Amino acid sequence: MKVADLLETRRENWRELERACYSMDGRRLKKIGAANVQRFAALYRAACADLALADAYQLPPNTVHYLHQLVGRAHNQLYPSRSFVMAEWGREMLYDLPQRLFRDNCLRLAFVVFWGVFLACMLSAYFSPKFSDAVVGKDGKEQMEQAYEEPLSRDDANERTGMAGFYVLHNAGIGLQCFGAGLLFGVGGLFTTISNAAQLGTVFGHMATVPQRVNFFQFVTAHGPFELTGIVLGAAAGMRLGFSIIDTGGFTRAASLRRASREAMPAACASVILFCLAAVIEAFISPSSLPYAFKAFVAVLTSAMLLFYFVMLGYPRESA
Amino acid sequence: MTNGSAPIDTRVEIVTPENIAFQYRLAGPFRRLGAYILDVLIRVTVVFILFWVFLLATGFAGIPGFGFGIWLIVWFVMDWFYGGVFEAFWNGQTPGKHMLRLRVVSDEGQPINGLQAVLRNLLRTVDAMPLIQIELFQGAVIGLPSYQIGLLVSAISPRFQRLGDLAAGTMVIVEEPQRHYGMARVDEPEAIRLASEFPANLRISRGLARALSAYVQRRQTFPWQRRAEIAKHVGEPMRVKLGLPPGTSYDLLLCALYHRAFIADRVDEPAPISPFAGAGQPNEPVPVAAGNPWINVITPSEELRR
Repeated sequence: MKVADLLETRRENWRELERACYSMDGRRLKKIGAANVQRFAALYRAACADLALADAYQLPPNTVHYLHQLVGRAHNQLYPSRSFVMAEWGREMLYDLPQRLFRDNCLRLAFVVFWGVFLACMLSAYFSPKFSDAVVGKDGKEQMEQAYEEPLSRDDANERTGMAGFYVLHNAGIGLQCFGAGLLFGVGGLFTTISNAAQLGTVFGHMATVPQRVNFFQFVTAHGPFELTGIVLGAAAGMRLGFSIIDTGGFTRAASLRRASREAMPAACASVILFCLAAVIEAFISPSSLPYAFKAFVAVLTSAMLLFYFVMLGYPRESA
Repeated sequence: MTNGSAPIDTRVEIVTPENIAFQYRLAGPFRRLGAYILDVLIRVTVVFILFWVFLLATGFAGIPGFGFGIWLIVWFVMDWFYGGVFEAFWNGQTPGKHMLRLRVVSDEGQPINGLQAVLRNLLRTVDAMPLIQIELFQGAVIGLPSYQIGLLVSAISPRFQRLGDLAAGTMVIVEEPQRHYGMARVDEPEAIRLASEFPANLRISRGLARALSAYVQRRQTFPWQRRAEIAKHVGEPMRVKLGLPPGTSYDLLLCALYHRAFIADRVDEPAPISPFAGAGQPNEPVPVAAGNPWINVITPSEELRR
């Protein structure tokens, strides 16, 4: 048979497959119907066979090119993306992730760097006003002092919901930026971690020296554990990416990055969850007129939850 | 293409579970920029509309703060998870990518999963660096992403992958249906007549057939002097082999060989004058049948034999 005749016989199949790709796009399997799916699979196999035999058939180059695209398009239709499997993610977040984080050197490093810088800056700012001037500036200090002039009594749920949204957008955004910045050879992550820790530590140290400290500590107690852990977790996940490019463990750099990112992504998600929880507490409990004892209780409770997650769920299992 | 040598081109070859090797066309940075801009426009529009919807709805109820809070959360989600969620549920496409027929697939050409989709979009912040600071009005500064890191990395990486793609193990491909396929038309009656004069036992090797089809499909784009020049290399030995008189047009000879190889065997009746023949000079482009999506129409052999 001549090629022209062959093309004539195949042409209808190819066009039908092309049409099927577009008509099936974005529709659920049930709506498409079993008969159509079977027909699609048969057409796809036929097109695959034509492509495989293109050389033997002596198909012209532009037809081969067309077949490549047709098969590629149909391939993507036949094997759609597996989106989120809830059970898998549940297992990942509650079982695998804490196990990994428990022995994650990046998390240890981020923890030490963050809290080390935080405490150092806090002590420096407490004993030396010059230090806090240099880090947050005179204006920044005055702003902070003004913000905590009044005793906390913001109970209006309407206004508070607005603030919760703002905290999510702002804080979780910063956490995710920390994660991304970590990719820049780990240095970006270290830099943002140190800068965040220095700012926060200095504010804490400075506020402890002024009369507004009562209101300030009333405000920060409740959401502190979740938010600060969120920062450390996000930074650690970013560092994992960055260091994987430096220490590849025998893989190529790209492969090492891919391996590390599979592991780091859930940690970044955990940090987003922590930021969101912290935002809710920060908006509704922290600025309210509830007694300090209750806020302290929230802080203790959230710390206990974090300990449970990182230590109880994370403690190496014997079977592992 | 199929002749074994790897194409020096923006194509990657994928081997499917069916053991078929096919090629994808990679999407370059500038095509992806278009999709990105479309996505940004969609995102900004949706966030803007939702702002008024939420604020009006909750404002009338007397709780504007509530609507504002929800809106900020929507903004956050749209900012960070728009691409990831769309690519996970829409089989590697966002609305912008869908419009420009781009698709994200994994390195191995397989579909991506949710984790890859979210990851490559979370790391967008790094690719978008450095930010260009633009002062709108007093004090309000916005950072426009310049994507210099993404451009640099995708220029270096073999598959136009930005950092997010490298980390997630994904690549972006073009899925444009190609309309130009089928056999090239040979309209010159002289060529068809010449083809019918070839000996019946003329065998055309596979390599020659490939060269012929590449030539005939492109000859329309060359002026006749250039055609003669290109066709001479194959035409002269073939002319001698077939014992044709000197002065035979090499272009016609190749067309005739092509006709014999791909379209029709030896026919004894003289070839008919096709409706387009004599319409102009031989180097005039072949008219395309109106309304036919096939630019290069397959010419069924029956039509020629009639």
